[in-house]
Amino acid sequence: MDELELLKKDWQKKEEHLPKLSYEDIYKMIWKKSSSIVKWMFYISIIEFIFWAAINLVFTDAESWEFFKTLHVYEVTLTLTLINYAVLLYFIFKFYSNYRKISFTDSSKKLMKTILSVKKTVTQYVWFNIAVFTVSLITGLYGSLRYGPDSEKILDAAEQAGNQTIFWILTIGATLVIVVLLLLLVWLFYKLLYGILLKRLKKNYEELRQLEI
Amino acid sequence: MNKKLEHQFVTELENNQNIVHKVCTLYTNDRDSHNDLFQEITIQLWKAYPKFRGESKFSTWMYRVALNTAITLYRKSKRTIQTQDYESVVFKIKADTYDETEEQQLKLLYGAVKQLGDIEKALIFLYLEDKNYTEIAETLGITEVNARVKMNRIKNKLRTILNP
Repeated sequence: MDELELLKKDWQKKEEHLPKLSYEDIYKMIWKKSSSIVKWMFYISIIEFIFWAAINLVFTDAESWEFFKTLHVYEVTLTLTLINYAVLLYFIFKFYSNYRKISFTDSSKKLMKTILSVKKTVTQYVWFNIAVFTVSLITGLYGSLRYGPDSEKILDAAEQAGNQTIFWILTIGATLVIVVLLLLLVWLFYKLLYGILLKRLKKNYEELRQLEI
Repeated sequence: MNKKLEHQFVTELENNQNIVHKVCTLYTNDRDSHNDLFQEITIQLWKAYPKFRGESKFSTWMYRVALNTAITLYRKSKRTIQTQDYESVVFKIKADTYDETEEQQLKLLYGAVKQLGDIEKALIFLYLEDKNYTEIAETLGITEVNARVKMNRIKNKLRTILNP
């Protein structure tokens, strides 16, 4: 294509029209804060770690533990909590080591892959928490219906109103609906958040990846 | 020691700033975005500088960081209004070119390049900077064969944009 050769010639002549920054201008710039998506992703991830850790702490204070005992779900909840903390540590470690791997001197493809893997770690962590949250919700509900202070009243009322099977089906159904709605909400939130943040990067990564197939 | 590194870096960048300006020109449409991207590239270059051990030329190393910032890290600014003033300064066609058709052709070509995607722009940029396919492939992380294939597709695309 001759036009491209023409463009190349002109492109290389064009330098004199480019802006010129002074030593001082550049010096000032190196101390400014980055506004790159990697920075944003880092802050969002930190917030996520804190958010889920805080939820764990709120739901597992001394009073709650006593309550769990009365509901006979103490062991299950304790195990879940311990697993939760171990997994939290694992994810923080994985997140940090992946984050450190982000290097702008890598090739574009490798760089984008690393950034996406950091995001993947955080997403996995969030899904893990949702799973734990769901299990806690179900055990909590089960515990309160079987051993909770008002459980007998509720079950008796169910017995009188019809039969217990329908009651249990309805309860399970309602729980499922709540869980699904919750998942949908979280999913939507992440789609929006990372969608905005990583749309361009994902598109470019796909383009490079497709090229290699 | 740190002061020395700062001085070294700023001097190198000052001498090679054209590369960064050219990347900014390609990826942004107005002066504010140009400056934003320039600043972001400078920050990323500075952050990566301690690891730069002179295994390649400073300018070669810059191409990579600058392009990577433009195509992966930088969020496109919402400002899309192209200021005529900016365009005409950056894409100024040399006044001593009296050839009307050539001038017209160049104008169209620059316009067409502006319409390309991020990756395509990166390839064209490296091509215009006279990089060989080995370098282009290494910078982007693809094979040399695929770099050539992609480049041919871009040429075709440009042709289509120019002669719809």
